[in-house]
Amino acid sequence: MTDLTLNELEVAPPSVILQAARDFAGALAETPQFQAFEEAAERLRRDEAAQRAMQAYQARQQSLQMMLMLNAASAEEGAELKRLQQAFLAAPAVAAYLQAQEDLTAICRAAADLLSQHTGLSFAAACGPGCC
Amino acid sequence: MDTATIVLPPNLLAAAEALAEQLLHAEPIALYYRAQARLDADRHARTLLERFSAAQADLRVRQARGMVTQADVNHLRALQREVQSNRVIVEYAETQQMAIAYLPGVNQEISQMLGVDFASLAGPASC
Repeated sequence: MTDLTLNELEVAPPSVILQAARDFAGALAETPQFQAFEEAAERLRRDEAAQRAMQAYQARQQSLQMMLMLNAASAEEGAELKRLQQAFLAAPAVAAYLQAQEDLTAICRAAADLLSQHTGLSFAAACGPGCC
Repeated sequence: MDTATIVLPPNLLAAAEALAEQLLHAEPIALYYRAQARLDADRHARTLLERFSAAQADLRVRQARGMVTQADVNHLRALQREVQSNRVIVEYAETQQMAIAYLPGVNQEISQMLGVDFASLAGPASC
């Protein structure tokens, strides 16, 4: 308690809170879920076939973006995009990455829920991107 | 996925609890809790908020039925002015916003260390 400002509110200095945030990040980084995610992301970056499949899908998706927004893409174009997406998702490195991301997401949500329950403020809602 | 079924690793659980405890002592959040306690203890302010909330709900129902009168609108506006000039309620609302605005800085500190945005991973699936 020596580094706390002991006023009526028992306010802690910002440095103490940020250190607690860094300790939390350190603990999260040590979890098997985070390490598996890092490894899966690295494998995906190094997998040329998966990268090509991803680029092909993203490029076609981008070229069709306006037509898709207007719901005006032809059936052939829609089928082609779906085929490219399936080829991308079928790459083992992509599947492994998505699974690792899902596992990491689960513990991040649980940890954020704990922070929200303790503070009475929704951590993810306060910090996350705004929904549509 | 229901996060209640997820068991956090002990080290992560301890670190999350320690962070949560420290967050309660962050100035904006401590001020918010003080304002909330003042609001809870102020019967007039609580009653005013309840009346305002009921009047809003009532107006929505009348609006859906096409039965809104000028008197309904005037009543709601009068209550709104009363809410906006109530010091306890205003302090509560302002400190709540400041407490919410404080959290992204904490998320940034976490995310910088991780190399990924923690809040994005922790947030609900987007629509």
